[in-house]
Amino acid sequence: MGIIISVFEEGIIYAIMALGIYITYKILDFPDLTVDGSFPLGAAVTVALITRDVNPYVTLLISFAAGVIAGICTGLIHVKLNVRDLLSGIIMMTALYTINLEIAGKANVPIFTRETIFDNDLVNRIFPEFLKDYKKLIIIVIVALISKILLDLYLKTKSGYLLRGVGDNSILVTCLAKDSGVVKILGLAIANGLVALSGSVMSQNQRYFDATTGTGTMVIGLASVIIGINLFKNMTVIKATTAVIIGSIIYKACVAAAIQIGISATSLKLITAVLFLIILVISRDRKKKVKANA
Amino acid sequence: MQTYILSLFVFAAQMNMRACLVEHWYQIMKRRTITLLMAALMATTLLIGCGNKDDTAGTGDKTYTVGISQFAQHGSLDNCREGFIQGLKEEGIEEGKNLKIELQNAQADTGIANQIAQNFVSNKVDLICAIATPSAQSAFNAAMSTDIPVIYTAISDPVAAELAKEDKSSVGNITGSSDKLPVEAQLKMIREILPEAKTIGIIYTTSEANSEATIKEYQAIVEQYGFTLETVGINTVADVPLAAESLLAKVDCLNNLTDNTVVSALPTILAKANEKKIPVFGSEVEQVKIGCLAAEGIDYVSLGIKTGKMAAKVLKGEAKASDMPFESIEESNLYLNTKVAETLGITIPEAANTRAIEKFDTITE
Repeated sequence: MGIIISVFEEGIIYAIMALGIYITYKILDFPDLTVDGSFPLGAAVTVALITRDVNPYVTLLISFAAGVIAGICTGLIHVKLNVRDLLSGIIMMTALYTINLEIAGKANVPIFTRETIFDNDLVNRIFPEFLKDYKKLIIIVIVALISKILLDLYLKTKSGYLLRGVGDNSILVTCLAKDSGVVKILGLAIANGLVALSGSVMSQNQRYFDATTGTGTMVIGLASVIIGINLFKNMTVIKATTAVIIGSIIYKACVAAAIQIGISATSLKLITAVLFLIILVISRDRKKKVKANA
Repeated sequence: MQTYILSLFVFAAQMNMRACLVEHWYQIMKRRTITLLMAALMATTLLIGCGNKDDTAGTGDKTYTVGISQFAQHGSLDNCREGFIQGLKEEGIEEGKNLKIELQNAQADTGIANQIAQNFVSNKVDLICAIATPSAQSAFNAAMSTDIPVIYTAISDPVAAELAKEDKSSVGNITGSSDKLPVEAQLKMIREILPEAKTIGIIYTTSEANSEATIKEYQAIVEQYGFTLETVGINTVADVPLAAESLLAKVDCLNNLTDNTVVSALPTILAKANEKKIPVFGSEVEQVKIGCLAAEGIDYVSLGIKTGKMAAKVLKGEAKASDMPFESIEESNLYLNTKVAETLGITIPEAANTRAIEKFDTITE
């Protein structure tokens, strides 16, 4: 039972990050590698603040803001300096590596003895004994739900529709007399804000920051988004944001299952690739068959 | 005629539509079955894990399950692990008899280190052995709300990692051994072998906490031996050649820490240093074998054995992890490579020669 709870915990923490990647990859059609840097940015900012006795809930907001700044930088590099989308992400990711180390101070910063959003006086008082095992999960779900609901509400606003427009057809956005560059920067800002928020929650969950965290974030996020979107392609009942969250949980469950069976971590990456391929192939099938019949 | 063609057309369209619908239905069913199968597969694997407690043999002998969480694939860490298993064996806990080992390697990924730790906790192992700092921190975090003891090894600074207090005592159900480098002994040895050297150069990886801690130690006492320290931080293995070039221009000798990335690129560094006839000192016996001049190293296997014995005590219930201060190996051994000394034209003083525990006269590739 414990492992199922931890799979959900990890899955939902990374789901917040997957929501961010959903915005850049699916909506903006912008492969944003900044996330490999903004995920640990959230973690670095959080541990830096928590070791200075800042309220852990406030660190969530500040991490989000830090991610927003990182996203704006990527956007500016792409839009104003006309650098290719992939390259602007790579530039920011590399820059953030140094910045994160500076913010955190050391390459490994533990916060075992500090208060976090999962372990402070308020939370320890509220939760009754029988819910203690689920304390972390409930808090994580609350944070994720708030992010998802806010994101859904935003996507329904005019600004949100422009965001979707820019990804599909940026000329349309220009016709509407809106600056497509600004819209892209906004999208990147929100996405990286979410990714940094996810990094913040994760560092408070594992209670330490290590400079190697973050490598491979893009892969995890992409896997979650693709699994989620493709699995629930025809079920319009399930919103895309929900699908992405479920995709993240499924991905983490696969990793946990692989570790359980005893597969070595190196083969894990191969398994992720095979899983990706299977899911992409299943969802491609229908398109091909319909074309053949018509 | 026209009606005939029309009806034929309608019939064909209808068949096509039915085929499409069937096709559509087929696709949805296929996708649903595959999803269900995947979900079922994952649920079964997870639940099998849940249900799998250690089997106690009918005779009443307890079989211990120990989860070993290693952070990365690396010679010293592997040596620690082997030593650990040997230490357990020397205390009567042996694989095949009364011990089941679950070995997992995180391949330097902290996310996977976390999941490995959670995996061990949910499988309710009797003890977790964590090799290297991030794995130990993940294990400590995961096991905090349970009574599974964690024994760590190969951590340079357990106090900085918040796994032990300043006075070496434990912060919880966790203890272990530290592979702190014998910095003073190393400096003494370098002074002995190179009486006129002025600057020591060290390459380290910015993301390795162990290296950071050791460099601070060096900076604190390097002047006492008449040296100045020059350091270069790198981010990945690809940065090593340039870093080595820049450092070799300003130093009299290079020194190594137990920095995983740098040690993996040691052959490159040795090649460049040999061109300039600058000696490279190592931190461990394996490094001396492949071309470092000398090293005051600790034996990682003995460190592992020490840790294994600590773990055996905890498993047998003779002591609790929370009562045991962490241990380290104080004595270091001198390893020399006489072939390297010959190539570089350095004469090794007699005192060092006699003191050396092992001398190598070849350079292994």
